[in-house]
Amino acid sequence: MTGPVLVYQLPEELLAGPAAGIVAAAGQAEDAGVHALLLGDRPAARPGRAAPPAAVVTASMLAVRTRRIGLVVDAAPAYCEPYNLARMLASLDHISGGRAGWRMAAGPDPEADANHHREDYDPAGAREARTVEFPPLLRDLWDTWEDGAFVHEKDTGRFIDPDRVHVLDHVGPTLQVRGPLNLARPPQGHPVMLAPAGEPLLAAEADVLVTGAPERAVAADRPLLGTVTPFVAETAERARELHAAAGAPPSDEGNAVLTGDPVQVAGQLAAWADRTPLDGFVLRLPLPGSAEAFTDLVLPELRAAGHCSGAPGAGTLREQLGLARPANRIAARLATAGAKRS
Amino acid sequence: MSERDLHLGLMFWATGTHAAGWRHPDAAADAAYDIGLIQEVSREAERAKFDFVFLGDRLASDPALQHSNPAQISRLEPYSTAMAIAAATSHIGVVVTANPTYSDPYSIARLLASLDHLSDGRAAWNLVTGADPAAAHNFGRDAHWNTSRRYDWAEETLRVVGALWDSAPEPDGSGARRIEHRGEFFSVDGPLDVARPPQGHVVVFNAGTSDRARELGARSADVVFAGPQPTLAARREYYADIKARAARYGRADHVAVLPGLTPIVAPTTAEAVALHDRLNALLVLDPEQEIGDIVRAGGIGEGHRRNLTSASEVFGVDVRGNDLAAAVPADTLAAVSEEGARRLAEITRLTRRTVDGPDRITYGDLVHATPAQLSHTVVGNPEEVADMIQEWFEEGVADGFNIYPAYVPGAVTAFTELVVPLLQQRGLFRKEYGGRTLRDHLGMAVPKR
Ligand SMILES: Cc1cc2nc3c(=O)[nH]c(=O)nc-3n(C[C@H](O)[C@H](O)[C@H](O)COP(=O)(O)O)c2cc1C
Repeated sequence: MTGPVLVYQLPEELLAGPAAGIVAAAGQAEDAGVHALLLGDRPAARPGRAAPPAAVVTASMLAVRTRRIGLVVDAAPAYCEPYNLARMLASLDHISGGRAGWRMAAGPDPEADANHHREDYDPAGAREARTVEFPPLLRDLWDTWEDGAFVHEKDTGRFIDPDRVHVLDHVGPTLQVRGPLNLARPPQGHPVMLAPAGEPLLAAEADVLVTGAPERAVAADRPLLGTVTPFVAETAERARELHAAAGAPPSDEGNAVLTGDPVQVAGQLAAWADRTPLDGFVLRLPLPGSAEAFTDLVLPELRAAGHCSGAPGAGTLREQLGLARPANRIAARLATAGAKRS
Repeated sequence: MSERDLHLGLMFWATGTHAAGWRHPDAAADAAYDIGLIQEVSREAERAKFDFVFLGDRLASDPALQHSNPAQISRLEPYSTAMAIAAATSHIGVVVTANPTYSDPYSIARLLASLDHLSDGRAAWNLVTGADPAAAHNFGRDAHWNTSRRYDWAEETLRVVGALWDSAPEPDGSGARRIEHRGEFFSVDGPLDVARPPQGHVVVFNAGTSDRARELGARSADVVFAGPQPTLAARREYYADIKARAARYGRADHVAVLPGLTPIVAPTTAEAVALHDRLNALLVLDPEQEIGDIVRAGGIGEGHRRNLTSASEVFGVDVRGNDLAAAVPADTLAAVSEEGARRLAEITRLTRRTVDGPDRITYGDLVHATPAQLSHTVVGNPEEVADMIQEWFEEGVADGFNIYPAYVPGAVTAFTELVVPLLQQRGLFRKEYGGRTLRDHLGMAVPKR
């Protein structure tokens, strides 16, 4: 990999706008060598403005309108059923040819909770236990069909190999799912899972960790991304104006705000990439024009310093991140059980 | 154009709607995960000016169905598939089957509104309450809910979803309001976060069979997607009943009744019959069982297997142990039950083979007529297929059809190239789209808040 991993979190104003604008922004990012897009998702109203479409739907559109960029969606276990989310992420992975990712959203959100009460379900009730139970359960569901289980033999009429499909019978503290899932194992095996580094129970299951404060990033045994909100313009003064006009948001635990001209912003990112354990950045692009500004102004600087290839990546999102394709967990468990028996 | 407009949808099943369709030489065997092919088939339907592409769904997988109904085993999730289709087309509607039994109203309202935005007003929701008892076990429940509970839940879901669409902001952010729904099953504050769908309300389809389904469809659906009926009288009764129920809600002209239809069409009748025979010959039959054993026709309840034992039960004569290719003696066929006689007439309609020749009904024909049929099938040349469509449309049985291609993409091409031009020449079907949204195609206005 040349230089840090770059993930664009596109601004809500852009994502809530016309489809053509979203597709254009994604295409520009892809052409500039950005590795993935992160599509936020929060099922609760924004005061005074319309929210973007659901991330999985936007991601599906982008999957067929781009070719190489990764597509990471936010989804909170509190607001979906594991069987439904497993198939949505798997479908996105199939449609995109192995470019899907999931950032687990875990925090309490009373406004979203208030939209999702059912007779048999209170989102706030078992939030933590459910959130922890979800990720490994999705991995297991994706593994209910082994690679190659669909054989499609026209001459014999054999459509599947029944020995390569498995019932799961998951019975956990908050979730019960029998399985199998109703679609083939995703191209990546499992879509890439991102989780906050600061949530140990989620982090344990994640493929990629996301942290805030770069200076305090702690080395991890898997890719680690820092979250940065860049306010960038041709001059430092104009960048400060943008930052001020946005209400001058400060850096916090989850997010480093970076304000400056292209050389300053690129220099700081390069320094973090060189001197901290960070493997890359989630760039939270704050304003409608932020994606374009970052691509046009900062990426050339990073490129010049050898910190960005400038060419679209190739392969699955896992391959772009240097992650291995996971082995099938259910097949492995069955093999172990079989070996013990014999 | 006649006063009423004929509506056509394309039912997309990756394996084809014929259980052996995927084995046909013109079929893509693995179309389920080939999004490029799914898009291409949809563009083909759009070139033929179809109203919509229809994506059915099931929330369970049953590998045991690989020979009897391989389409039930797996598929891409419909919201994402519909979006991928919409991104490759400009006019055709996209229908997502979503089962409220295993979801919640806010998620459904939001996903459909999202699809409606990014497709510029082409989304529809096929509301089903679920045919698969097995789905319950994938969603933490011990058992499939009974009909009344499923429909009580579905009706409240529909009310909340409608209220959420009406609660949503305009694209500029104005006009949102909370709904504060406190119902029997759901408590939802709202407003919807996503802007109000371009169609106001996403178009609603309903597919079901019970009295509750008929009532829900008549009161709340824009399109009722109808299953097969055994006789013309039953089809008439069904159509008239939906319209009469809709009239009681002041909606007689607002509900289109669209049955499924499998056209097996070729340039000549003989070629169409040969194609139908060829598809049936590709079926893998079920192993024989003991007479009287209850067997599952997987996912769709209990039913009959595809073998001579089940054929014996259905036709009421013992035909076990015979060569499938052999003609059945006329005296055996004379002894069949009343239901058997009805099915013999069906066999003749499809295969043109008769009880007394010159081409005689075979044991294989009995076997293929034994399992429940997924849709009405018509076998013939383009004129014969167009005649049947026109007849049903003009004689109070259908407002259009959801076309089931027996295999993809070949059967889609055959229908769009051979039959649609005839329907257009006869003034029954549009030559150009009159508008851009699915509501435009269906002739339905955008509902006010
Ligand atoms: C034409 C037609 C299509 C249907 N498509 C689906 C489907 O895609 N997924 C599903 O779960 N159920 C589907 N159903 C089944 C219904 O959900 C329904 O539950 C079933 O027919 C039982 O009828 P009831 O709900 O009225 O009791 C369909 C039914 C009909 C008649």
